[in-house]
Amino acid sequence: MLTRKQNLIETITGGTPDRFVNQFEFMEIIMESPLDTRTNPGELNKNKWGITFSWPVGQLGKFPLHDAEHKVLKDISDWRQYVHAPEIEKSDAAWAAAVAHANRIDRNDQYVAGIILPGIFEMVHNLMGMEQAMMAFCEKPDEMHELIDYIADYELKYAETLVDKIHPDCIFHHDDWGSQKSSFISPAMFKNFFVTPYKRIYDFYKANGVELIVHHSDSYAANLVPHMIDMGIDIWQGVMTTNNTPALIEKYGGQISFMGNIDTGIVDLPDYTPEIALRETEKACRDCGKQYFIPCLTRGMSESSFPGAYEAVSQAIEQMSAEMF
Amino acid sequence: MDKIVEIQKMIEESNPEPIAQAISDALVDGIAAKDILDAMISSMGVIGDQFSEGEIFIPEMLMAAKAMSVGVNVLKPHLVSNGSSGLGTCIIGTVEGDLHDIGKSLVAMMIESAGFTIVDLGVDVPTSKWLDAIKEHKDVKLIACSALLTTTMPALQETINAIKNSGMNGFGIIVGGASLTQQYAEKIGADGFAEDAGGAAAKALELARLS
Repeated sequence: MLTRKQNLIETITGGTPDRFVNQFEFMEIIMESPLDTRTNPGELNKNKWGITFSWPVGQLGKFPLHDAEHKVLKDISDWRQYVHAPEIEKSDAAWAAAVAHANRIDRNDQYVAGIILPGIFEMVHNLMGMEQAMMAFCEKPDEMHELIDYIADYELKYAETLVDKIHPDCIFHHDDWGSQKSSFISPAMFKNFFVTPYKRIYDFYKANGVELIVHHSDSYAANLVPHMIDMGIDIWQGVMTTNNTPALIEKYGGQISFMGNIDTGIVDLPDYTPEIALRETEKACRDCGKQYFIPCLTRGMSESSFPGAYEAVSQAIEQMSAEMF
Repeated sequence: MDKIVEIQKMIEESNPEPIAQAISDALVDGIAAKDILDAMISSMGVIGDQFSEGEIFIPEMLMAAKAMSVGVNVLKPHLVSNGSSGLGTCIIGTVEGDLHDIGKSLVAMMIESAGFTIVDLGVDVPTSKWLDAIKEHKDVKLIACSALLTTTMPALQETINAIKNSGMNGFGIIVGGASLTQQYAEKIGADGFAEDAGGAAAKALELARLS
């Protein structure tokens, strides 16, 4: 039986895996890394960039506030006046828990994964609001390039520390690039603004011991896949069924792999049942096949919003492995 | 007529910068403000369709809406109905507990571009605020409720129930949001459902004609 890491490699290289890779099993995410302030359910707080997040009780996630009082970047023309990257925490004390976690992982069996969130696109609209960001891409492209480079430079500085402290084998990078049906911006605009900064970041990681780049965007983004490949992404996690994942595997398998195709909005519900989890998982496994595909809930973490849904999908994947391998 | 085509092109190419001058020139040439406005509304319909088809994306749609807004401001003093094409008022917001505003804001822009006067209640709007807004504003023809999350779908149902049970009428209720379907919209008593901002504007026009 292959290790979890070997099985992942066989899957994404078009080899002969001996079972489906089961969701996030191949990576251990080091959540203790001191990247930024967390917002927990029921909290309203400000992160190190000054962005205020609210997580209302009973809701599925946090939301940045962009009213006049809370918006950080009020005018893109003067972005340097408003946007100030935080200091990067480098002390051994701050990283102790992360280092201890990383040291506990058997790297022959699993990838030690550093996590980055939010990504550059999300950071831009967290700072200034989505509508203002979208219009600034058209009206103030030079300033947007400057802001994006500034955020990318910060990410690269953080990357140096992350590599130094936990020596990640994998980077799990979040940045949602679309809605369920469409990318937020056109492929041409995406290329113009985001490909080069992301290449800088992912090239750095690959040059410093990272073997695997896993990028999360639980959305439609099929039109961006060529750019994902260009950036150096190995696995797109969060691919929704709206992308026609089997067609993407057919077209791009061997250049990039796809992780998801079990939509959170269908399975991860308050009244979820193992039957629904199995139905959706079986469809994903049979439609997408054994190579270049990892069945997984589209949520960007090894958990579900409603207790038991993630585990139900894991059990369903085991069942499909037993049937199909 | 070439000037109207030129103005339409500015909207359909998401180019707000020259539109004010182009409209002023058209008015000087004697083209009726109402004809210019109708042509612009038609172009926003084209934009809505292109967005629904995935031919354009959010930035282009927003820039087209900005062109529309700039143009309407130039036309306003020349229009008998003061800038609206008489379709009435649309009250829009996300239901209580839902803080996502991008989809709602896009829908508001497209419905405004279609000729409605927009009252945007913002996000996380409690039921009482919806009812107050309907009472406060004249000529309400449309209520647009957004709920992105599965967890806020019950709040959508409660909002619609409260509006329907209030005894106020003369308007249609349209719903939208990532988690919703036509079937769910019908189940909770909404009069209309749209999958995206372009579809919302078309459905808004349809409901306004019925109400």
